[in-house]
Amino acid sequence: MNNDKIKISTRNLNVYYGAKQALFNINLDLMEKKVTALIGPSGCGKSTFIRCLNRMNDVIDICKVDGSIKVDGSEINEKNVDVNKIRERIGMVFQKPNPFPKSIYDNIAYGPRIHGLAESQNVLDEIVENSLKKSALWEEVKDRLNQPGTSLSGGQQQRLCIARAISINPEVILMDEPCSALDPIATAKIEELIDELKKSYTIVIVTHSMSQAARVSQNTGFFHLGKLMEFNLTEKIFKNPDNKMTQDYITGRFG
Amino acid sequence: MNNIKKEALLKKRYNAEKRFKLYGILSIFLAIAFLFILIFNIFSKGSGAFLKTEILLNINFDQKKLGLNNNSSEKEIREASFDEILKDALLALAPSAPELKQAELVDIVSIDAELEIKKFFLNNRDILNKSYEVSLTLSDDLDQVYKGNFPRDIPEDRRRFSDFQLKIYDELVSKNKIVSKLNWSFLTNADSREPELAGVASSLVGSFFTLFVCLLLSFPLGILAAIYLEEFAPKNKITEIIEVNVNNLAAVPSIVFGLLGLGVFLNYFYLPRSTPLVGGMVLALMTLPRIIIPCRAALKAVPPSIREGALALGASKVQTVMHNVVPLAMPGTLSGTIIGLSQALGETAPLLLIGMVAFINVVPSTPLDPSAVLPVQVYLWSESAERGFVEKTSATIIILIFFLIIMNSFAIYLRNKFEKKWS
Repeated sequence: MNNDKIKISTRNLNVYYGAKQALFNINLDLMEKKVTALIGPSGCGKSTFIRCLNRMNDVIDICKVDGSIKVDGSEINEKNVDVNKIRERIGMVFQKPNPFPKSIYDNIAYGPRIHGLAESQNVLDEIVENSLKKSALWEEVKDRLNQPGTSLSGGQQQRLCIARAISINPEVILMDEPCSALDPIATAKIEELIDELKKSYTIVIVTHSMSQAARVSQNTGFFHLGKLMEFNLTEKIFKNPDNKMTQDYITGRFG
Repeated sequence: MNNIKKEALLKKRYNAEKRFKLYGILSIFLAIAFLFILIFNIFSKGSGAFLKTEILLNINFDQKKLGLNNNSSEKEIREASFDEILKDALLALAPSAPELKQAELVDIVSIDAELEIKKFFLNNRDILNKSYEVSLTLSDDLDQVYKGNFPRDIPEDRRRFSDFQLKIYDELVSKNKIVSKLNWSFLTNADSREPELAGVASSLVGSFFTLFVCLLLSFPLGILAAIYLEEFAPKNKITEIIEVNVNNLAAVPSIVFGLLGLGVFLNYFYLPRSTPLVGGMVLALMTLPRIIIPCRAALKAVPPSIREGALALGASKVQTVMHNVVPLAMPGTLSGTIIGLSQALGETAPLLLIGMVAFINVVPSTPLDPSAVLPVQVYLWSESAERGFVEKTSATIIILIFFLIIMNSFAIYLRNKFEKKWS
């Protein structure tokens, strides 16, 4: 992992919800065009952590994020940094599929439209088609692009959300338990997709499924009670973790 | 032993369930029964007003008596008096009547009969010097007799028509000269002191203007206030106070808004009294909280995941709200708005205070003309002594209910349409 390029790095990252501290001194490096899995028991701060990376925690009034987050070496955790620009570069896919109340086409076209990425209808059509192809949804929906996004099945909706995230060509995709609301077949499809997407994007995935982390990721971080207990190559974490707690967690002794 | 106890307990539970169901069905039945009685009562009283009784009278368009000739201009005809030929035709019904009774004969038609003949003549200029059968509005007393609303067997001195008039009327009925027609003039005439001529046109148009002004003011203001309070305003003491007060405002008796309108719009800004403009402004004040509250509830019901989805794509706060949240909140907002407006349509008290209770006998042409509104018309007519106004009152209620049903159905239609689209 040493000869990879670092895409995002956090230093001394502390997060507070009011008086309660949710994250303690997180120092973590995310490698470019690799999948990094974050595992840990519920409430350990994994989701809070990835929501820091695209400043989604700004939405929560009582949330305070301290410390340094650098993307390609430049600081993003500062007041004067435009969050909309950051979010254009760092996309996000949520736990529950959340398509907009619009047609399939407009769901994908929304991002390019607000960022002015398409000068003409043809270019927009192309972006929509490419995004849907990249998220392996094109074949299933190409004949019904005008139907509402909510008419799709759960797994299709989640792939639609992934297509929506990549429609504005981000550099990083954050995935917050993207498969927790899906059945095993839909999960398998999303995992395949992640494998494909890592060729072009840096991916961070929060997951509760140890096997999923083992299958899709190259690096894995283990969080516990707001602290990063261990961060290493996935293979190392699952085969021979340094930390006793990590060992206990992945073998199912707690969590 | 234990089993028997359990059986008994089970039976008790089932009985309780049955009783509860019964109470529910009973209360629904009662509610429907009351509604049915109310509607039946209004319809049986009011349906008569949609029919009018007319008399077929043979009129001789005598050139000399009219003072007209074949080349008379329209202006001359309008200025001519048709009273004499009308009187002649009425007197011909009982040629041997003593002079004292002649006034009673003239009274069997409406006071507008002369105008009706004039109108008929204007449309049929070639009947000069000829006799022609013209259909004229009967006086409201005989109209009520014809509709069976007035008992004929009470003593003469206690009714509004004489035995002589009744005799003539019965003769006309037996000759099939009394006919019943659809009463279009009820919808096209303005208010009048004569029940047979009174119509709802002025209050219908007044209600329309008033609601229009009300919608124009309250809808944009209400929606913007709701969106700001719900999506953008910081959650602090001030917004909390505003929220509490908006909710209180919805519970303020409507007459208080009338007082406010009187004090501010009329006495301070000197806006024209009795007009739909001021009426609409007063009703807008009353409707505002009734739009803000459902709109905020609808916005609150939009799942936060939609907002996060848009924000995560780099949409600004305004884009997120306007493109994704507001469209989802629209069905709830619109149906709330329409229900607020239908409450405004039925509102009387605040309008009385700003002078919309005046007797208006012309149809208003702009929101700046004095006018009545439907519920005030109901109130005005319900206070009138003439029997003819009883059915007019109920008929106006029917019209009001008709519009309320249309508006509420539209609200339901909108809700279903949008909900089907996005769920």
